[in-house]
Amino acid sequence: MNIKAVEPRVLYAILLPILLLVFLLALNVGPVEIDLGKGMQDWFSELTTIESLILFDIRLPRSLLAMFIGATLGLAGAALQGLLRNPLAEPGIIGVSNGAALGAVIVFYYGMAGFAWFLLPLGGLIGALIAVSIILMLVGQSRSIITLILAGIAINSIGGALIALALNFAQSPYAMQEIVFWLLGSVANRSVNELFIALPFMLAGWGMILYCGRFLNALTLGEETAKSMGFEVARMRLVLVLGVTASVGAAVSVAGNIGFVGLVVPHLMRPFVAYEPRRLLLASAVTGAILLLVADIAVQLLSSNGEMKLGVITSLVGAPFFLFLILKSRNVLQ
Amino acid sequence: MLYCSSAIGRIVRDKINIGPMKRFCLIFTALVLFCAPLFAADKPRRIVSIGLCTDQLLLLLAEREQIASVSVWALNENMSYMIDEVGNLPLNNSSVEEIIKYQPDLVVASKYAAWDTAKFLRQLGYQVKQIPLARSITDIYSLLRQFGEWTGNQQRAESVIEQMQSELAGIEQRYAERPQKTVIVYSPNGFTIGANTLENDLFTHAGYLNLAASMGIEGFRPIALETLIAADPDVLQIDRNLSRPDSLATAYVDHPALDKMIEHREYLDIPTRLRICAGPMITEAIEIMARRR
Repeated sequence: MNIKAVEPRVLYAILLPILLLVFLLALNVGPVEIDLGKGMQDWFSELTTIESLILFDIRLPRSLLAMFIGATLGLAGAALQGLLRNPLAEPGIIGVSNGAALGAVIVFYYGMAGFAWFLLPLGGLIGALIAVSIILMLVGQSRSIITLILAGIAINSIGGALIALALNFAQSPYAMQEIVFWLLGSVANRSVNELFIALPFMLAGWGMILYCGRFLNALTLGEETAKSMGFEVARMRLVLVLGVTASVGAAVSVAGNIGFVGLVVPHLMRPFVAYEPRRLLLASAVTGAILLLVADIAVQLLSSNGEMKLGVITSLVGAPFFLFLILKSRNVLQ
Repeated sequence: MLYCSSAIGRIVRDKINIGPMKRFCLIFTALVLFCAPLFAADKPRRIVSIGLCTDQLLLLLAEREQIASVSVWALNENMSYMIDEVGNLPLNNSSVEEIIKYQPDLVVASKYAAWDTAKFLRQLGYQVKQIPLARSITDIYSLLRQFGEWTGNQQRAESVIEQMQSELAGIEQRYAERPQKTVIVYSPNGFTIGANTLENDLFTHAGYLNLAASMGIEGFRPIALETLIAADPDVLQIDRNLSRPDSLATAYVDHPALDKMIEHREYLDIPTRLRICAGPMITEAIEIMARRR
């Protein structure tokens, strides 16, 4: 690679303004043209006008959710790639997202979500945790790319089938049509309710993942070395897994399974952070947020009636990248 | 009939060797004799309905002895206007097995609801009649006439139509002085009702202007929540009675932005059973809407 690593200060001086810019752009995009300035003014003077309703009750929650979920997926991808020491690890590919979606579907369609706000993300967390446990059992200490991908395919298939089964038996007459949402993901029509449901779990998960940054650095030298450097490997791994499942579980439980963000983003950022797993975490979070906002803007521009799912865009971009990675790593391995 | 006459023709040709003119006379006589009992037995006697809207038309127009079974939807509190008329009639779940159990001489269904069942029943040789979708009150009148013909109750259909017409004229007179209001419908999955639909015609008769139709939306189509809010209708009609159990579809009508909008606007909730099917109950829906104008 001929890309030079850049100083963190320089990196974030570039990334954060881009994030802000994309966020403002997202607030501007929608089926209706509105005057953002008037919306702000009305909101601060506590007037309920068309502009303030559209800006603060529809576009702001949607864009914030896209930003936080993008950050979650980028962060979780970087964390999983570090934890499994495998460049193809990603919540969607290894089946964690489908596990989370299954947990959320069971809580949501069987009337449990109404009892307490935290049950929906908790369902996502538990589903994700089960999927990760199976992956860890299947893959173990192996760093084989093939094993990981095959295990992911199996877990994804089981998860997808169980989601369809759960929706089939759900009471709601709409349930079966909604399988596309859970498998492809979307932040369309999501409100401040979903934002508040998911945010605490996502923030807690981010904290846990970022706390493990130095451990991920040490882990690149192997578990034994990490142990000799004073890390309690088992405990750190658990914290990392809980961080990933809490944040991904919450994200998926309100927006479905949005694929490939967690795969693409760490690979994009790695050269800029000198291939250091700890520094990669935050950089991936910010870039994930930018990319998902851009994808959501693209969805809205491409289909004004909101029928297109966010996962369509991320998969269209991410899946060819996945193929490229497989080809590249095959050449290295042989 | 065609099948019948060609079959008879073949038998006659094979068995009897006579000239063409005489043969024609013979076939004609045979046909008349054969078909006479069919015309005499004018009314179907064992009618089965396999959908909500035909259930209600049947309960409304047919004589009780003519009805063999109606669908379970006829007893659905949200959807059916004629729960009280069902009484002890046998109910069906619109499955082919249940239907042929009654050996019906006529099966009635909606055109779009049970097309596969209808097709199957026809293949089995049953008489199936399907009512088209009514897109206006005029459509309802012709539908009632047609249904009266099928079941042999033309008189009753005409009197229902007359009753509806006089009720509608009364409503128009009573509320003529009130100003026109604008309205938009919002249902689960973000769908709205546009032009060329029965509900749109009901709004027109009740003195409303449906903004979705003015925007050029036709039929039952999704509308962006932003578009709805920006259209700023005087009245909002939201289908919230279908809102349980939880689903993403119903999350559309539970969006907080709608709640805030309703605080500042009138909110119209017409019971589903009054407007879901073509029939005389729609005058009641129009009355409620006009009264709220």
